[in-house]
Amino acid sequence: MYAWDFAALKPYWSLIWQGLGVTLFYTVTTVLAGLLIGLIVGILRTAGPRWTSMPLRAYIETFRCTPLLVQLIWVYYALPVLIGVDMSAAMACFIALSLYAGAFYAEIFRGGIEAVDRGQWEAGRAIGMRRSKIFRRIVLPQAIQVMIPAFISQTILQLKNTSLVSVVAVGDLLYQGTVITAASYRPLEVYTTIAVVYFVVLFPLTLVADRLERRLGAHR
Amino acid sequence: MSAAEREPTLSVTDLHKSYGTLHVLKGVSLSVARGEVVTLIGASGSGKSTLLRCMNLLELPQAGALQTGRHRFAFGKGQPLPRDAELALLRRDVGMVFQHFNLFPHMTALQNVTEGPIQVRNMSKAESIELGRGLLAKVGLADKADTFPAKLSGGQKQRVAIARALAMKPDVMLFDEVTSALDPELVQEVLTVIRELAAEGMTMILVTHEMAFAADVSTRVGFMNDGILAELGSVEEVIRRPQNPRLIAFLNRFHGSRSG
Repeated sequence: MYAWDFAALKPYWSLIWQGLGVTLFYTVTTVLAGLLIGLIVGILRTAGPRWTSMPLRAYIETFRCTPLLVQLIWVYYALPVLIGVDMSAAMACFIALSLYAGAFYAEIFRGGIEAVDRGQWEAGRAIGMRRSKIFRRIVLPQAIQVMIPAFISQTILQLKNTSLVSVVAVGDLLYQGTVITAASYRPLEVYTTIAVVYFVVLFPLTLVADRLERRLGAHR
Repeated sequence: MSAAEREPTLSVTDLHKSYGTLHVLKGVSLSVARGEVVTLIGASGSGKSTLLRCMNLLELPQAGALQTGRHRFAFGKGQPLPRDAELALLRRDVGMVFQHFNLFPHMTALQNVTEGPIQVRNMSKAESIELGRGLLAKVGLADKADTFPAKLSGGQKQRVAIARALAMKPDVMLFDEVTSALDPELVQEVLTVIRELAAEGMTMILVTHEMAFAADVSTRVGFMNDGILAELGSVEEVIRRPQNPRLIAFLNRFHGSRSG
């Protein structure tokens, strides 16, 4: 029977907190950037000019149909060579994670907008509203309601996906785990602790998501 | 003075509308005077709903003209398509009620009614709420102001939709089969509201399958058949003493299906 010794991790807790900070930083910044990309791409995909359709589709499918780890490594090692600029690991991670999130959010936005009944557009037009106002006042609020569950689960995935940045030596939670393991020779305790920290952060988020979904759907 | 001689509130001239190779409107002209109630009847696919939807340009005809108040639109070769802003201005003045209500589900009944006045007419919130409550009372739903559409019956939803259209103070109201999606026992409450509007002198154009109601409320009845306005005349001429063989066939089929 293995003799657990979590006390051995005591000297390393500051590293774990530091790693968690980095994980949360990447989650928040890339979710925000991804949302912005997703909103713009999603709207262009539903109502944009026709010539945007092909390139946007290509972008979305590229990021949906290749592994994030491959994207991350490609942006870090290949992209700098192609465009001839040095890129820090942190920058490469931010770009890859944001574009990845953007591709998925774009599809969530598009799905939400298209799920709103055509009659809603007509009702808005029938009372003399302009297209942009119908979108803002009538369609988007309903689309967001439809999108919330998918949006939350994608965001939870995004937090977990940030663990891939450890591969290019960005000091997130998982990376600190490998560092601590190397120093303490306690991989079971370390990775168990890391898993628990992820869980403790994400589980309340799912609870908030459930409540939000119920509250927003109250009139249904 | 006959209806046709008075200044028309809304008129369409020689409208043509096709969807691909399907020619739905083959040259329809109709002029509706202030205070008139014109009912359009006809089999499904005859083009009556398309004609109605061309009157607020939810459908854009390929040829013809539309005129109501200060709004004039001409369609055809060499005519630019109307811009979103011009269409929006027209639709402020032409109210429409749909078969499937199309209420805004994320807004209460009152918010549904005040949305147009606030967002489109730039009315103050207080003023629009007063207007909205008044209109909800008028359609018998004063106590439902803060209720969301999902909690309303079909008949109540449709009455809110009528109040929403009236809130824009339109010159003319279009009703597109507004009782077709309702349970039979809920039809009358909606027809009663429309009847009251007719009595107040609201100019209205209706597409309906409620023949008794049409006979009761209309100043004129139009019979659409295969993309043309085959008959247009008084209730007496069109419903009670039809001459046109196709119209007679339609009315007979209609009575047959209703009594059966």
